Amino acid sequence: MLLNQLSNKTVDEIDIGYWELKDNDEILWSKAFLSSLKYSEKEAKINLNYFLNHIIHKEDHDLFRNNFFSFIKNGTDFRQSMLLKSRKGKYKEFVCTTNFNFSLKLNENSRFIFFNKRKFKTNKKVSKNKFYYKETAEMTKTGSWYVDFTKQKSYWDQQTRRILEYPEDYIPSLKHSIKYFPKAYQKLAKNTFIECAYEGKKFNIEIKMLTKNNRSFWVRAMGKPVFNDLKKIIGIRGVFQDIDASKTKEISLQKTSNIVASQNKRLFNFAHIVSHNLRSHTSNLTLISELIDTYDSCEEKLSLIENVKDIANSLHETIEHLNEVVTIQTSTNKSKSLVVFDNILNQVIKSIGQIIAKENTTIHSNFSKLEAIDYIPAYLESIFLNIITNAIKYKHPDRNPIITIKSKVLDNNKILEISDNGVGIDMDKYGDKIFGMYKTFHYNDDAVGIGLFITKNQVEALNGKISVSSEVNKGTTFKIEF
Amino acid sequence: MRPPTVNLACIIDDDSIYVNLLKKIINTKNLCSNILVFNNGQQSINYFETLLNNLKAEDIPEVIFLDLNMPIIDGWEFLDWFKSIKHKFKKQISLYIVSSSINPSDISKAKSIPEVYDYISKPVRVKDLETIFSKTS
Repeated sequence: MLLNQLSNKTVDEIDIGYWELKDNDEILWSKAFLSSLKYSEKEAKINLNYFLNHIIHKEDHDLFRNNFFSFIKNGTDFRQSMLLKSRKGKYKEFVCTTNFNFSLKLNENSRFIFFNKRKFKTNKKVSKNKFYYKETAEMTKTGSWYVDFTKQKSYWDQQTRRILEYPEDYIPSLKHSIKYFPKAYQKLAKNTFIECAYEGKKFNIEIKMLTKNNRSFWVRAMGKPVFNDLKKIIGIRGVFQDIDASKTKEISLQKTSNIVASQNKRLFNFAHIVSHNLRSHTSNLTLISELIDTYDSCEEKLSLIENVKDIANSLHETIEHLNEVVTIQTSTNKSKSLVVFDNILNQVIKSIGQIIAKENTTIHSNFSKLEAIDYIPAYLESIFLNIITNAIKYKHPDRNPIITIKSKVLDNNKILEISDNGVGIDMDKYGDKIFGMYKTFHYNDDAVGIGLFITKNQVEALNGKISVSSEVNKGTTFKIEF
Repeated sequence: MRPPTVNLACIIDDDSIYVNLLKKIINTKNLCSNILVFNNGQQSINYFETLLNNLKAEDIPEVIFLDLNMPIIDGWEFLDWFKSIKHKFKKQISLYIVSSSINPSDISKAKSIPEVYDYISKPVRVKDLETIFSKTS
């Protein structure tokens, strides 16, 4: 957008650097703006591309471009500090703003962008150092801050404001500083701060912070107390670094690693189960064949046929159980669908209605907080069935079973809780074995030890978690996180 | 057939088929006169505790065959308890662990317990049983 006459493109005699954006998209640069960068009116090739490519520092380039175009298109005001290169190749710091409060005989059809030079009363060396600090801070996304207890104020550097998405003239609040942290991390922030302020404890933690636009992100925050001559703590000085990208990666890696570990554990467990449960049958078969050799008479040999039948039956049963487990592991890609808790529960109650009635069982359910989930319907049915029949099977001898089932959402986790008033399980003794295969803890003859094992496998196959809490003679609660 | 040299053997195991077969072998080979059977550790502890109140030498088994995986009180828990009371019997008791587990950690753990005479992986062979009973006598 070069005009023939350069003199037309610089405007005004006032000693303030600005751009005038005319309604015909033409941009004029003020004389003061050019001179502050040591350009003469004739030298500068006045256009936006030249500014973006040769004048503005590359770190400030993208932000300015975005700000500039959203100002042009939507009239969004902005304020940004930036480094601009003078003709001699030196960077100077400017504050660029659109809503500069300055009475100027301005053309009403134009819009303006102002560039105020930052004034440093420092010698060259310091400002050079400052420049490096700023570069370091920007490149490492590190902000620094100071809290002054005597003045009851907090101070932020520009980088802190930038990271937290606050405008450059924002004055941080000490009183409401908890709002810079998301709810879940406010307690940690408070405790860390208090420990530093009262006990002089340095800190170095990973914590989530909240920007002005309510975006939460991970930072590494470090800080230490500031003492006066009397060794009294008068403030806290600290830095924090935006580590959101790496922390998010770390968390997802940790998740993947947990999944792999749990799958590996299940696989190992399964291999163990297969070898153990099949071995007990095969060793019985071996024993029988030895006995056949030992016996002399045909009658004696034939008497062992009954035992062979027993082994065949239990071997068959074990293989059925193992098959059931394999089916769970391999059918996780079975189609999930929206499953309504109430419907599934009614189905289960219907199918075991006789047992429920026989034991005078009461079932309370409340699914108002979470009515349905995306799940494999058959699994949810089996989960309900196993836990409810267990609750009835292991009811307390002195009272009728009462089963309470409710769903809820806690911290984005979907949770189902099933509690009973049964005999309970001694958690100290059996806590780690409850979900094991063929583990039974009661004297009931019909205890097989397969139900909860299947339930756990179903829940985990869909990346969920199941846990149990129980008190002997009081009851048991199963908690499933989907 | 000569009379058995061992008076009383004790089997602690929840696998009823195995127990039946073991009993048959012991009886057929006439390895011992009497057999005690418990389906889990708890039952056997109950028996031994009653026995401690009224010690009769002929009721104390010379051989115990202990399974590891059992409901209620498993083999390991039984061993913990057995360690603490064994000396009260004032009689040599040879305890064998007989398990279908071939998990090396189970085997080395069992062998590290001084009260355990030996670890036998199922299936038990008739020959092994004969050796055990002849050693015990």
